[in-house]
Amino acid sequence: MVKKSLKLGVALAASIAFTAPVFAKDSSKPIKIPTHNWSSQVVMAYVIGGIFESMGNNVEYVSSDSQAVYEAIRNGDVTLSHEVWQSTFGASFYNAMAKGGVIDAGTHEAATLEEMGVPGYVIENNLCPGLPNWEALKNCPEVFATPDSGGKGRWLEGPQSWHGDLMPVRLEALGLGDKYTVKFAGSADAIWAELASAKKENRGIITFNWSPNFTDADGFVFLEFPEFKPGCRKADGGDGSCGSPKGWLKKAANYQFPKTHPAAYTAFSKLSFSTKQIGQMAALVDVDKLSHQDAAKKWLADNEAVWKAFVE
Amino acid sequence: MVELSKLSRPLQFALLVGIFLVLCFTIPASDGNYLWRLPSLIAGWPAALNGSVEYMMFEWFPIETYNPDIEDYEESAFLKEITRSFSGFILFGIQFIRELLLGGVKTIVAFTSWDFVSENEWAVWPALPWTVVVAGSMVLGYALNGKGLAIFVGAALAYIGIFGQWVPAMETLSFVLIAAPVSVLLGVAFGIWAYKSKTTEAVLMPLLNVAQTMPHFSYLVPVTVFFGLGDHAGAIATIIFATPPMVRLTLLGLKGVSPEVQEAGVMNGCNKFQLLFKVMLPSARQNILVGVNQVIMQCLAMAVIASLIGAKGLGFNLLLALNQLRVGQALELGICIVLIAITLDKLSLSWANKQIDYFADHGFVERHKYSLIVLGFLGVGIVLAYLGTFIFGDKINYFYLIPHNKGITTEWFWQAGVDWMVDTWQPPIKLFTAWLFVNFLTPMKNAYLAMPVLATFVLFMGIGYIVGGIRSALTVGAFTLFLALTEWWDRALITLYMATVGVVISVIIGTSMGVLCAQNERATNVALRICDTLQTFPSFIYLIPVMMLFGVNDSAVLIAVIIYATIPALRYTVEGLINVPQALQDAGSMSGVNRTQRLLNIEIPLAIPHMMLGINQTVIFALFMVMIGALIATDDLGQLILKSLSDQNGIGNGLMLGLCVAFIGLAVDHIIQTWAKDRRAALGLG
Amino acid sequence: MNDQSPVIKCESVYKIFGEATAKLLQESNGAIDVEKFKAEGCIFGVNSASFEVHKGEMLVVMGLSGSGKSTLLRCISKLTDTTAGKIFIDGEDLLAMKPKELIELRRNKMGMVFQSFALLPHKTVLENIAFPLQVKGQSTKESVERAAAMIDLVDLSGRENYYPRQLSGGQQQRVGIARSLAVEPDIWFLDEPFSALDPLIRREMQDEFLRLQAMLQKTILFVTHDFDEALRLADRIAIMKDGVIEQIDTPANIVLNPATEYVAKFTNDVPREKVLSCVNLMEKAGKGVKVSSVRVSKDAIIETVAEAILNETKPVPVVDENDKMVGVLNHKSIIHTLFGKDESA
Repeated sequence: MVKKSLKLGVALAASIAFTAPVFAKDSSKPIKIPTHNWSSQVVMAYVIGGIFESMGNNVEYVSSDSQAVYEAIRNGDVTLSHEVWQSTFGASFYNAMAKGGVIDAGTHEAATLEEMGVPGYVIENNLCPGLPNWEALKNCPEVFATPDSGGKGRWLEGPQSWHGDLMPVRLEALGLGDKYTVKFAGSADAIWAELASAKKENRGIITFNWSPNFTDADGFVFLEFPEFKPGCRKADGGDGSCGSPKGWLKKAANYQFPKTHPAAYTAFSKLSFSTKQIGQMAALVDVDKLSHQDAAKKWLADNEAVWKAFVE
Repeated sequence: MVELSKLSRPLQFALLVGIFLVLCFTIPASDGNYLWRLPSLIAGWPAALNGSVEYMMFEWFPIETYNPDIEDYEESAFLKEITRSFSGFILFGIQFIRELLLGGVKTIVAFTSWDFVSENEWAVWPALPWTVVVAGSMVLGYALNGKGLAIFVGAALAYIGIFGQWVPAMETLSFVLIAAPVSVLLGVAFGIWAYKSKTTEAVLMPLLNVAQTMPHFSYLVPVTVFFGLGDHAGAIATIIFATPPMVRLTLLGLKGVSPEVQEAGVMNGCNKFQLLFKVMLPSARQNILVGVNQVIMQCLAMAVIASLIGAKGLGFNLLLALNQLRVGQALELGICIVLIAITLDKLSLSWANKQIDYFADHGFVERHKYSLIVLGFLGVGIVLAYLGTFIFGDKINYFYLIPHNKGITTEWFWQAGVDWMVDTWQPPIKLFTAWLFVNFLTPMKNAYLAMPVLATFVLFMGIGYIVGGIRSALTVGAFTLFLALTEWWDRALITLYMATVGVVISVIIGTSMGVLCAQNERATNVALRICDTLQTFPSFIYLIPVMMLFGVNDSAVLIAVIIYATIPALRYTVEGLINVPQALQDAGSMSGVNRTQRLLNIEIPLAIPHMMLGINQTVIFALFMVMIGALIATDDLGQLILKSLSDQNGIGNGLMLGLCVAFIGLAVDHIIQTWAKDRRAALGLG
Repeated sequence: MNDQSPVIKCESVYKIFGEATAKLLQESNGAIDVEKFKAEGCIFGVNSASFEVHKGEMLVVMGLSGSGKSTLLRCISKLTDTTAGKIFIDGEDLLAMKPKELIELRRNKMGMVFQSFALLPHKTVLENIAFPLQVKGQSTKESVERAAAMIDLVDLSGRENYYPRQLSGGQQQRVGIARSLAVEPDIWFLDEPFSALDPLIRREMQDEFLRLQAMLQKTILFVTHDFDEALRLADRIAIMKDGVIEQIDTPANIVLNPATEYVAKFTNDVPREKVLSCVNLMEKAGKGVKVSSVRVSKDAIIETVAEAILNETKPVPVVDENDKMVGVLNHKSIIHTLFGKDESA
């Protein structure tokens, strides 16, 4: 019963989103924006919050786990999510959408890349000649070996919940199965710690990473795998050897958001940041060491033209 | 069987291991062989569980509610409305305290509306200047327990303020100040209920066991489904975890009240209410106070995990700092968590021990002197904060509210320390880790995975039989059967492997350190103090340095497990040894034993039952940390629990996996408790 | 011995333990066949106890552990439910009282002292003693004043703010006594109050107790396993064994005429001169017998007058409170009493 009415709500909400009169007044109840544990996301939360506030809305920030948040949006405990990464959160997002209560609120300009790669120094120091082309990997598994990898080279993949067995399948498909093994890290923190520790030793390392990210500034290089074509993945009938496509970065919202805050929702659906802009936000914290709130304030002040466009 | 039970215990164990090994080598590993692996008959349970929870929550007994936001009626499940009302109640409490400390509008909103606040700019509750909170807490400390406590409380809070952690610390405090009292009240209430009714006790105890051994991650999704996301959800998750020890200790305390005291209460003319609240509960206070201490420690230990489902404050900032690998900053946040824990613990203890002077003939001023002093400080603080607006101008008003990370920081110092550690120790550690994997960890893990299921049953149930007879064998067998019938048996074996290695090493380190510390009173006190601190210190912090030193692999997880699980082994060893009755020690001395002989022949054997309880705790702690270790990289049940956060069947998977982990813990718990009870009885230690 | 109606009256009181009790009672319609009950595994805590205690009288219930003495006390104080029989307090049926009436009774008429003191560990001496008053709803000021007076009575001044754990056993029991007396009860229950104390302290506390009783004249039910203590304190003694009251009588009569062999076991070793008074041993003064000029009171304990009597050559007259001669004592009976060979036994 409820599912049905929720779905109805979604349809209703979607139609309202397009036809809503611009003059409808936003509810003064706060819009709840989630904050997760990485810098660009937190700064962007405060940036979006700042935009809403400039429109006269009340805003509240709710700290939450980045996977559990979709269930919360569905139930209305959180109003929106402004960074839905295709490969990392796609599953959670679509699961929640299938259950009803979450709507797709558009896509950012930024194309994202989520792929295996190596830190810049691996290329500069020529630790494995021929990188970033993947074929070079055939000749130097020992450069990427670790104590627990049993002599094989190691790919440090993100948590298994992000893309399932995508990388192990790719390894096999590329014929690297006997030379490399995939290790699933438990969290993004694990990847950062391992990157930092490898850098200290100037050691070779292959990790999963994404862009835009704070590592962009450090010169992280993504490996070049066979080009992605629709249908190349194993799930779609291919052999799975292809690399990642340029991914989308979406925005999600609770189905009631367009109705309760029509103006804010309109701005949110228009809102779109580029890779460069997201990089700027992260850098203000990670490089300039500003606090997240201050970084957001500074970004809003410096880029008024950019965000004013969403509001009008 | 009769002959078997006549054999001595070591022989029984040897026989058991023998059978176990024979089974291991004779049962072939093949998919269809049920002796090798049982079919996963209950693999469908998570989905069913998920379905029924969602049905209960979203479809069962729908009622019409009016939603003013979309100006329409909606159907909403009855249960959801109830849990959400409860959430609202908890949330209001948290916000009220938070806004007293930090200012805000939500309390005002609760009595008016968001529109009212939007239209009236003045309708903002101002924050208490931090100086006033520090001074007020010092006065409270002084009133409760004199100068010493006042200085401690003042120093702790001033540290938090000066180091720029005031805002997150007060956010954490506001949710602890709701979660802890609610846990205590619930704990006492359930404790009383269990005391009054044997049936309740019988039902409640297994539930408590499960709630206490269930990994935190496994109930995060269910909590958000039931109660939503936010500070209240964090508080509720904390309450679920902090209440069980309170129930247990209340029950223990009530059972320990001498029947004569109870009769005295009755003969003094108490009615039932008076008997309970004026006689029974106060007489059980020793245990209840230990419970309160446990609740406070658990609440702050949960600060980080609660932030995953919306609790603001130190925990969330700590995760953020760790994501940026700012270990120094995380450490400062961690210290604040520990300081709050100790401060609350000391204040609550002093409050409970407060004595009233009936004979002093006080005037108004004398009776209200502390309130008056606080009022005075409030005035001074406000004036100071007002002056601050002139002194600091547009910059931060340090006399009013120091924003997050705008205070003094020693981050660079800690960061340098971590860097130095990584630079200096990494090469030898790498060699050691490589050796460890090749010679020990990898073969060990493979050995665990090579156990046929039948052999595992024989081993576990056999141990159960030897220790506690047929009853224990069946209990342990039932727990194991549950695990074996899920589709996660191999994962469970890996969990078991990690836990076993961690526990064995922790116990060796913990007990030997404990034995050494117990030889000297000063060392004893220091050791116990360190245990207290480490127990509340957020374990997340040392995950990062450990990963940087040991890499993202099992050895890092094991090190984290060992650091954490050594605490109870150490604590219980020390406690066990120093509590050996003096008369027995003297008797030993009189029969002419030297120091070492006394230790080996008298103290350790007598302390062993208590030490075994420590090992029991070590197992629980180790399992807990193996689960947290999923954040590094594991391929055990913990990793799946972490994964369940994004699963479609998240609730079902999370809960079922949580039960699996809980059952491993409970099986060990059952065996050790049974053994320790026997042993204590045999030694006449009661 | 007193024409007033009894303060405590028990009529064939039973306390039976065992799971089968309720069923058996129902089957037999309330009638109790001891053998049949025992055969079903029931245990008799109290087996048909009947007696009365009068105003100002002290009945000491004496028995070894497991004899049912404490159970009997708990039946009368209604700390445990009585299986069968009737108990009247001041003529009112105790067993028919509603919980509210019972609480009122305890708040105003009953006080009890416990073997292990049973003080509230979290309250000071003062608070412990004021506790029954506060439970009753008296104001803090009133109750504290009354408690302070009780502290003076039991000689604990200066220790008002001590916690029980800071006091010796004797001091703790003084607190227990003061607490039980705080509500000025008519009936005073004491359950082995001095058993947990050292012999010297016990003796001192018994003296203290006698002093208090002389002053307060309460109706007392006192339980002990110490026969000497019973002899020292009691107006009457009830000796219990396996739930049955074997004999109930004055100390002197019990010593002189033990009703059963079991009772005799206790009385055999009792130094008679310490128990018996002149009235128990005196003979009728024969007409014209010359008596000594020394006179002894009929209530005087033999021990205190023995030497004086033995120093006289003639029989010593025994007089009552009006100085009227009621009998004589001669050497022979004194010597028998002192050195055994009791002809009256």
